[in-house]
Amino acid sequence: MIVEAGQLALTFAFALSLLLAIIPLYGSFVANQRMLLLAKPLALGQFLFCLLAMLALIYAFRTNDFTVVNVAQNSSSTLPWYYQITASFGSHEGSMLLWVLMLAGWTALVAQFSKALPLLLLGRILGIMGVICVGFIAFSLFMSNPFERSLPFFPVEGRDLNPLLQDFGMILHPPTLYMGYVGFAVAFAFAIAALMGGRFDSVWARWVRPWALAAWLFLTLGIMLGSWWAYNELGWGGWWFWDPVENASFMPWLAGTALIHSLAVTEKRGTFKSWTVLLALAAFALSLVGAFLVRSGVLVSVHSFATDPGRGMYLLVFLLLVVGGSLLLYGMRMNSVRSQARYQLFSREMMLWGNNIFLLTACLIVFLGTLFPLFHKELGLGSISIGEPFFNQMFYYLTIPFALMLGLGPWVRWKQQQFTPLVKPLGLVLVAALILALGVLASMQSVQANLALLGMLLGAWVGVSALAEVMLRMRQFGSVTQGLTKLNASHYGMTLAHIGFAVLVIGVAMTKTYTEERDVRMQEGDTATLAGYQFTLVDVYELDGPNYGGQAAELDVRKDGRYVTHLHAEKRFYRIQRTIMTEAAVHARLSRDLYVSLGEELPGNAWALRIQVKPFVRWIWLGGLLMSLGALLALADKRYRRKTPPATKQEVANA
Amino acid sequence: MRKLFFYVPLALFLLLTVFLLSGLFSDPRERESASLNKALPEFALADLMQPQQIWTPEQLHGETFLLNVWGTWCPTCNAELGYLTELRKQGVKIVGLYYELPRDPTFDAPFSLKALQQDVAQKLQQNGDPYQFNILDLERRLSLDLGVSGAPETFLIDSNGIVRAHHIGDINPQIWRAKLAPLYQQWSQP
Amino acid sequence: MKYLIATVLLLLSGALHAQELLQFDNDSQRDLYRSLTAELRCPQCQNQNIADSNAIVAVDMRQKTYELVRQGQERQQVLDYMINRYGDFVHYQPPLNRYTLWLWLAPVLMLTLLLGTAIYRRSRQPQHNADTKSELNTELDQLIKRYRSKKP
Repeated sequence: MIVEAGQLALTFAFALSLLLAIIPLYGSFVANQRMLLLAKPLALGQFLFCLLAMLALIYAFRTNDFTVVNVAQNSSSTLPWYYQITASFGSHEGSMLLWVLMLAGWTALVAQFSKALPLLLLGRILGIMGVICVGFIAFSLFMSNPFERSLPFFPVEGRDLNPLLQDFGMILHPPTLYMGYVGFAVAFAFAIAALMGGRFDSVWARWVRPWALAAWLFLTLGIMLGSWWAYNELGWGGWWFWDPVENASFMPWLAGTALIHSLAVTEKRGTFKSWTVLLALAAFALSLVGAFLVRSGVLVSVHSFATDPGRGMYLLVFLLLVVGGSLLLYGMRMNSVRSQARYQLFSREMMLWGNNIFLLTACLIVFLGTLFPLFHKELGLGSISIGEPFFNQMFYYLTIPFALMLGLGPWVRWKQQQFTPLVKPLGLVLVAALILALGVLASMQSVQANLALLGMLLGAWVGVSALAEVMLRMRQFGSVTQGLTKLNASHYGMTLAHIGFAVLVIGVAMTKTYTEERDVRMQEGDTATLAGYQFTLVDVYELDGPNYGGQAAELDVRKDGRYVTHLHAEKRFYRIQRTIMTEAAVHARLSRDLYVSLGEELPGNAWALRIQVKPFVRWIWLGGLLMSLGALLALADKRYRRKTPPATKQEVANA
Repeated sequence: MRKLFFYVPLALFLLLTVFLLSGLFSDPRERESASLNKALPEFALADLMQPQQIWTPEQLHGETFLLNVWGTWCPTCNAELGYLTELRKQGVKIVGLYYELPRDPTFDAPFSLKALQQDVAQKLQQNGDPYQFNILDLERRLSLDLGVSGAPETFLIDSNGIVRAHHIGDINPQIWRAKLAPLYQQWSQP
Repeated sequence: MKYLIATVLLLLSGALHAQELLQFDNDSQRDLYRSLTAELRCPQCQNQNIADSNAIVAVDMRQKTYELVRQGQERQQVLDYMINRYGDFVHYQPPLNRYTLWLWLAPVLMLTLLLGTAIYRRSRQPQHNADTKSELNTELDQLIKRYRSKKP
């Protein structure tokens, strides 16, 4: 019954989305206020019904209703309750419903928190969100229905959730990632509404900015959680694999990062308009392309969903309509927009241009690296693979100028900046960065490793520069305490995010250079030494979990004879899915991770173990977290929460 | 000119959709083989049933044949035995390359040729025996040299011992007719 | 007594160091093996390198890589060995030819093109313009008025 109610709720949501896609948009062209006013209740109603549908699906999973195909294939009665809930979005069908729910959620948020928006604009924005909702709800309802039953024949036990997804990271990763993906739909809708109305200005940019920031915040968190999950769950100690699925999330992230920077220029200086609009379209378009790549099966990936050409076709047509239509509108409308602003070569405008150019180039690299094998093959040139060596090479050369510029950027003023006033502070920053980088490296075993040296230098340059800049600005306001309150939240947000980037660069460079790894054969009592740590295998015993068996290894770790920690690594055999999973033992510290995974049993009562010491690997996720926090701080900026348009020109110009 | 500039994103996007569309209709896992038009690699491997018989590439010259990589452990291989037997009856010469699994010391008994022979004989009796004989690739050296990525896979070898086709996956009537039969015809003509 | 000796022996042997699964002549051999298995693709799997995959073919390729590395073969020799058998597909770094050249060329082109556009556009800014800030202010004022008037 509940399942049918869920199906019905999704159908109602579909009906409401149809109305939302038609009425307010039509109303905006015939200037009918009543029609425009309908947008908000429709958006809220749509969200409510999507939520009910999701709850019904979760109910089906919690009650082990194996008459529902989705439940039978992705859950089992032995699955712990929290994974039964996450299993509801572990499959293609379920994750699509989650996607729809998120999309409806953003639409409802826009409806609720845009009191300052003119009714006409709001109606259009919600209408466009409605159009996107129609596409995805219809897809969920007609092409991948999560509520489908297999009556009268149904299994007594489910096939269980893919063991890879039975992890804490999986509880958080999909919702945050999807929030990010579909969050860019809001910026997209704002851009289309602006294209319809033909008005792009600072006020428009200020309206879009918090939404773009919020989407970016979630996407950053989602990607970071995904990387953290892969590190913990895949058992090899890797944190990024350049798999098409990861790249599909990285592309909108890069475009979104460019967007939030470009929006700053459009808001503060009223220029870069056509560029900003294009980025707003691109960020969401890349989310859609990503969804297509993951769900259509055109690319071979580790974690793509079970695929079906019909679904791929639907998504492609939808992509063509939404993205093609919006780019057509862009071509038709954009040529009338001209920017009047003036700025010098050495100015913040040009710095942010540079930022955008590098981010877009990075985006193109990821795009080509992901899709070129497809192009190559479809042109009849044969199969090739593009992976880590290519991406590492390209990103290595791209990061250097990008980071150098990033350290300089925040110091440069709008319109025009003289070189001379910057020489002294930046010289000091450079010296501090050098000392810091060499100091940290000297504490490691070797200084000659050039990747680590470069990464530390760039990271320290960006980090120290960001900190110094904010300190100097505070000083300009007199005392530090005075400055602390004078600077607005978005400035702190920027500083924090830039420091996050620095931390990330340092983490990547150090981990890549100093990771030590050994595959060893150990009997109980054996000791393996790696990077100064002594790992002793204390015990190996049989495991008995709710839906898995397997072995567990207990290790003691010592350094120079002193006890450091106890590690517990598991090798699980999931009974229903008949798959082996490695649950690595991780001991995390800011300066290094100890990472042990248990391999197969060897002749002579011994075990294969992979032992890794990974310096600074935490910094990678810490960097991502700092970036997200930066976005959160920027979102807290007062000027995004004004109920009414700003009052005076002074206020506007100085904001 | 300036006006057209703003249509560049649209043009690029449309180009992309063309590729995505063609990608939808092709199998991403299908790929050309590196062994094509190369001679069979050197090997000297024992016959599965008569281990004293050692096979080398030269002994296989003279006739076009199919080299079918298989194992009793592989369900798809067992499933295609029936159709392959039919092909044998039609006069197609098929040689088996037995792809033995590596052994896990924990779960598996040590390798025993006798047990394997019994297992193979039983499977072939059940599902049909398409093979003239079977070459045992115990350590999968020949398989690696041929670029085999798993079982079942089938190679078409011409009378000079040159690889002319490499099919990954099972052989069923559709695939035989569409892909392998024409090549077989072409290369069996003297 | 025998039991005691056995236990002592066991303890002594336990104190010995664990053996590496694969023995190498030196560190550079180990590094070579590690980097090779990381950039060779398992031909049977979805999208995994042979180091991370446990498919039979990946195990065999790892074993072969190990043998070749121990024989003292160079990096490129091992790669060629695998590419000869499994095609370009097996290496995560695509071969350089006149098509794949675009993989490197396109980003460089885009970078220079966009940089060029940025500099060109800046140089074509209106020269004798009123102060942009005040211009922006008037624009904003007008807009605010417009939005105010349209409020329902």
